Amino acid sequence: MDFMLNITFYAFIFGVIAYVIREVSRSVATRYIALGVMSGALILNTTLVLMRWFEAGHAPMSDKFESFVFFAWSIALVYIIMELVTIFIVRIHSSRLGIIGALQCALSALFLYFAINTDSTIKELPPALQSNWLVTHVINYFISYAALSISFSAAIIYLIYRAIFHGKTQEVVMSKDNSNLGKDMTFDKLAYISVSIGFPFLTIGLITGSIWAKGAWGTYWGWDPKEIWSLINWLIYLTYLHLPLILPKTKISKSFRPVLLSIILLVAFPTVIFTFMGLHKLPTAGTSDHIYAD
Amino acid sequence: MSKEIIIKEEKGKVESRVWQFLCSVKLAVIIILVLAVACILGTVIVQQLTPEEYVARYGEGLTKFFIATQLTDIFHSYWFALLLLFLCVNLGSCTVKRWRNTVLQIGFILTHVSIILIMIGCFIDLQLGEKGGVNVYEGRSVDYYLTRGDYQKVPLDFEIHLDDFIIEKHPPKYRLIAYVKDKDSQTPLTVKVGKTYNIKDSNYSVTVKDFYPDAEYSQKPINISSDPVNPAIYVQMFGSEEITAEGWLFAKGLNWYNDPDHNMRVEYFWVDNDRDFEKLTTIVEKGSPPKLGLELEDRGIKLDIPIEVGTVFEVEGTEYKVEIKEFALDYMNRTKPLQEQEMSNPAVMVDITGPQGVDSRWSFSKYPDYWDQAHQTKYKDIRVTCNVPDDFTLTSNKIRIIQNQDKEKVIAYIEGGELKKIVNWEVGKRSEVGGSGYQLRIAKFFPSYSVENEVIKKSDTVNNPALRIEIAGPRGTVDDWILGQTPAKWYPDNNFALLYEKFGMEIKDFKSKLRVVDNGKTVLSKTIEVNDPLKYDGYVFYQSSYDPEGGLYSGLQVAKNPGIIVVYTGFIILCVGVVFIFYVKPFLRRKSKKKER
Repeated sequence: MDFMLNITFYAFIFGVIAYVIREVSRSVATRYIALGVMSGALILNTTLVLMRWFEAGHAPMSDKFESFVFFAWSIALVYIIMELVTIFIVRIHSSRLGIIGALQCALSALFLYFAINTDSTIKELPPALQSNWLVTHVINYFISYAALSISFSAAIIYLIYRAIFHGKTQEVVMSKDNSNLGKDMTFDKLAYISVSIGFPFLTIGLITGSIWAKGAWGTYWGWDPKEIWSLINWLIYLTYLHLPLILPKTKISKSFRPVLLSIILLVAFPTVIFTFMGLHKLPTAGTSDHIYAD
Repeated sequence: MSKEIIIKEEKGKVESRVWQFLCSVKLAVIIILVLAVACILGTVIVQQLTPEEYVARYGEGLTKFFIATQLTDIFHSYWFALLLLFLCVNLGSCTVKRWRNTVLQIGFILTHVSIILIMIGCFIDLQLGEKGGVNVYEGRSVDYYLTRGDYQKVPLDFEIHLDDFIIEKHPPKYRLIAYVKDKDSQTPLTVKVGKTYNIKDSNYSVTVKDFYPDAEYSQKPINISSDPVNPAIYVQMFGSEEITAEGWLFAKGLNWYNDPDHNMRVEYFWVDNDRDFEKLTTIVEKGSPPKLGLELEDRGIKLDIPIEVGTVFEVEGTEYKVEIKEFALDYMNRTKPLQEQEMSNPAVMVDITGPQGVDSRWSFSKYPDYWDQAHQTKYKDIRVTCNVPDDFTLTSNKIRIIQNQDKEKVIAYIEGGELKKIVNWEVGKRSEVGGSGYQLRIAKFFPSYSVENEVIKKSDTVNNPALRIEIAGPRGTVDDWILGQTPAKWYPDNNFALLYEKFGMEIKDFKSKLRVVDNGKTVLSKTIEVNDPLKYDGYVFYQSSYDPEGGLYSGLQVAKNPGIIVVYTGFIILCVGVVFIFYVKPFLRRKSKKKER
């Protein structure tokens, strides 16, 4: 298990390198090589998840170690689905997802690194977690988190490009390649698309959590810190989704609007990560039913 | 006329401005952001404490501010409720304003209506719902519950019987943890026999060499030297054929054994000079009898009287008369015949008769002052003691196993206080004692007896597991057993330790076998557990806790949520709505765009 974990970790590191090479060379061959490397890492990660499922005898998403491995898996899975869609269905310009692939691989590697440094002993499920809602609730959340992580990466790239090219992003990036490959999508649009992919899952995750809490604890909403922070995450992305409706009516200049939206995403994803793994740092953590240990 | 029109127009303008504001996305975004900030505050400021606790935590000034702004209970505050009301109004007007009967608008309408529905449902629950809890003892019933927060008794129209309460436990689980002190690092190791783990960032490595699921320490006698440091023999005594008793005798420790069945005392001597050897093999000294000591310090009287039950004597120079009533070698088993008592707690009982009547006392040889301290005695000036010599025996027959610096080994048989026979003995050989048919064998002789803690396997089910571990480090290799729940095993350099500890959930599940009795009739039975409640008459009973001490009662959560249907409807509509907006609408849009082209 430890060996597999390390191999998978290095596979994702290798994926980072592959995607960086792809970004630099921009050839069709490197595009497929990078996708291949990441798919390989995903397969390894899938094996990890399945092995753990088999070993533990319950869905491997109940403790820190299991959720780190599962999160790394969801990040890779959602990205690969997205890339496959952009290659074969939507046909976004090939220059787009590439560098994000590197960031997603790095993110998966990061969570596997956390997993390597986490106690991996199999723990018994406490009574509250012995529910079919566990799988539905957690999978929804991790898929949503994975999609939102893409929006985070895209926002970073967008802001970096803006900083480098001072607003001339589109021209500079577009001028580099033969634009007949597909339609062009700037990174801020990509970020918006990722949020719109992730937001329904975020909503369903919140609702399934509420229904589960009703069955387990008798209240569908108890103002538990974990519940509150899930709501905060939801409200932030809700704001992000509503802002494009009102920004044209404000005095904010058209060129600054995507910067503002990207900054919101830059703040939003860390709050998601905080909800996922940082709540024990809250002064109210002691009152929570969700926070079992650090 | 014209004035009226102007006023009406202005009114219309104002109304429309208010209306515009109410249904604006801008207001929605503002409310959402304020809600988010309120939520953050609600998790950063500890909620629902007492004013004193706030003062202790945040100081006088901040506490006043928190209480004035209801930041101490944000989620039940008026302004938070107002905020939610605003949100509802905003959502409502927004939905009305943007309502279009088109397919593409379905998602918008569903999501916005659903949130209003959820909030209406929550409001109904808040107003008409009930929430509380009750503890039911096994075999008993309740017809009420206590409200959450203020513990008011609320009667139920029916009874809930707890027929059985079951706590299911996991088999115990253990984990091995390696600790490096100077790095303050802990590494959990998976237990796999034969596997070697190199502990990260250190020079230590750990190999698991063996595993017993259930083990215990047992003391194994060993001989550590050929010098007679602690001579010991293992003696077996035989009736006719079978062994009737066996055990170790130590020349420098417990060197005797009383065999009440055969009225025999076996003694073991190891002597290092010929004179003592001579003495032991020829002279039979009479053991001194147990004595009763009487002391009257004030009058300078000190008496020693051999203990014989029934002895009555007057203490000279006083008005006291003393009678020895009872004698026991083992006070706890004093009703048994004296021969069958082991000399574990000798005691004597005396009646002291004096001017104030009879004073009965027990006096214990090992605890001479116990009785006087624990009881009221009539004659405080008399101190009674019981003196039983260590070698006191009731048996008149003795077997002396004598050894002289490994040169001579003899058994002396003493019957009725007289030396009858001397035979030589050898390790492993049976010797007959006297003509009684009584045989003994000295099975083992250890000149230097010691014990080794040995780990033995008790059973094959995991209970108290043990690991044989080899630790390699800067000071060489250490090979030892480590048992579950024993203190950490330290490597000789005191910088590395292994701990084998219990971990994880012990409680697998807890279940209550509930029965609802309405009007004297059992109407419903169900075994509830966490995630599987019982529903009756609008109430839902959840398994929430249990008596942590003995598992005698079951903690039930009681809830009545009349608004839940509305809330869940809202949930479903919201799910459908968001999926429509983000997964269906884009495709519909593209289709219609293609058509346009």
